[in-house]
Amino acid sequence: MKRKEIIGGIIVLFLVTSLCGFLLAEVYKATSPKIEKQKRLEEEKLNKEIFPEGEKFEKVKKGDVEYFVVYDKKKRKIGRIYTIKSLGYGGYIYLKVGIDNNFKIKGVKILQHNETPGLGAKITEDKFLNQFKNIGIENLYLKKDNPKGKIDSITGATISSRAVVNGIRKLMEKIKNEKID
Amino acid sequence: MLNEQNLFLIFLSAFLVNNILLIKFLGLCSFFGISSDIKASVGMGLAVIFVMVMACSVSWVVYHYILAPFHLEFLRTLTFILTIASLVQFEEIFIRKKAPALYKSLGIYLPLITTNCAILGVAFLGIDYKLTFIQNLLYSFGASCGYCLSILLFAGIREKLSTAPIPENLKGIPIAFITASLMSLAFLGFKGLFKL
Amino acid sequence: MKRLIDFKNFTKGIWKENPVLYLMLGLCPLLAISGSVSDSIGMGIAFTFVLVCSNIIISLIRRFVPAHVRIPVFIVIIATFVTITDYSVAAFSPQLHKNLGVFLPLIVVNCIVLGRAEAFASKNNVINSFLDGLGMGIGFTIIIVFMAVIREGIGNGTIMGRPVFPENYKPFLFMILPPGAFLVIGFLIALKNTIEGRRKC
Repeated sequence: MKRKEIIGGIIVLFLVTSLCGFLLAEVYKATSPKIEKQKRLEEEKLNKEIFPEGEKFEKVKKGDVEYFVVYDKKKRKIGRIYTIKSLGYGGYIYLKVGIDNNFKIKGVKILQHNETPGLGAKITEDKFLNQFKNIGIENLYLKKDNPKGKIDSITGATISSRAVVNGIRKLMEKIKNEKID
Repeated sequence: MLNEQNLFLIFLSAFLVNNILLIKFLGLCSFFGISSDIKASVGMGLAVIFVMVMACSVSWVVYHYILAPFHLEFLRTLTFILTIASLVQFEEIFIRKKAPALYKSLGIYLPLITTNCAILGVAFLGIDYKLTFIQNLLYSFGASCGYCLSILLFAGIREKLSTAPIPENLKGIPIAFITASLMSLAFLGFKGLFKL
Repeated sequence: MKRLIDFKNFTKGIWKENPVLYLMLGLCPLLAISGSVSDSIGMGIAFTFVLVCSNIIISLIRRFVPAHVRIPVFIVIIATFVTITDYSVAAFSPQLHKNLGVFLPLIVVNCIVLGRAEAFASKNNVINSFLDGLGMGIGFTIIIVFMAVIREGIGNGTIMGRPVFPENYKPFLFMILPPGAFLVIGFLIALKNTIEGRRKC
């Protein structure tokens, strides 16, 4: 292959790549604010679903734990929202849990999971998650695991259900010595 | 997602539980093309292991030390595919010179691997799962071994199938897919193999 | 003889040379995404967009690219459009972006896209390349949505999230899982073989 041809080829490749790189940078600049905004809106929406009376959600970092402090419209602290992960059947389950001033669960939302569709995946359904409302740490067990437990597991998805319950209980045990105030 | 697991579990997970071919659907094009011949499948499987481990490791380094520090993550697709393509070229030249016998057996499969979605897919997953370098190394090794295992099993079955009485319209590709379906079902049984 | 505008280039992508059924290309995203009708529609549109755009650009510059660098150049162009699509989907529909996952960037190694660039766009004019890309893209979309209707319908009892069976239908879970995908495409191809066989008589 002649020298000229090789150099010609490399120049074309270089030109095309630079043009494309430049184009991509522009597209990125145009879309990334929107992507960031979507992420924030999504997070706010989930927070509001857990604490409907919440007006302001302030992100706080204590040590290596990050959580949201929830304020109502009269600027009173009404609870906290934590994001935790728990080992399920098909990997980690990521979820948000809201805890009110009485140290009871306000709500639970599943963020991400890898459970079996139609079985473990049912942990995202309201039918399962609504059971957690107003539950305190002493009742936070599956009915089949502990007589004090108040949570029914999903038929055919005990491991997934247990993962959610135990994950939240572990969190509550960890923070029970802190005042939600 | 795989952060705190110990390394052996990462390997086992990629190898069996989340087998890239039968569960994650990566690398299918070459899977159906090559597996009608056992010898070719061995060649392809080995080539994939060889390329995937190197390509994923290099891609990881490129992402974490070149792209990320300069906030150029959006160039990920472009740089990864170019990295893989050039790596395959270099590997081909290198093997041809240093190990002609190996080159003969891997032969034409090496350049074919560039468009194998498994390589790029696993490279991306290594970044998406936020793995460390060692975890990424094991993940790509496990995934490629999983690919090799699946393709070998499949080739063996297909060879037996070629002498079986099959309805005319199901011969060839359709029965291959149905076989893959059953294999996938078997591999699904690995889920919950261990508490990851 | 090549005509300036040949509509056959569009129609062949839909059946005669359907990329999935005949050329057996693009299997990875097909099987992975066809578990959900809405995701499949999204994937089909994204895919068609990349295919059409890269076909057009490659056809435009085909005379300026020396033969020995054409593959890297094609790959760079395709990768650029894939990234544009990736970020656009992320900006406008984060849910779809999450569901498509790694298969959106994987369009860059999709054999259909590179194959059409090499086999057609680099050798034909812009309008025909546009038609070819559009036809192949639509052909792919038809198949993936058809599969999704079957898989989501039988496997989940819904289509696009809306139930299509009476209340007491027990979803056949198998269809949504990986084995179901393999099974459906296997029978689809067998179906195509049957139709072809009948035509011959």
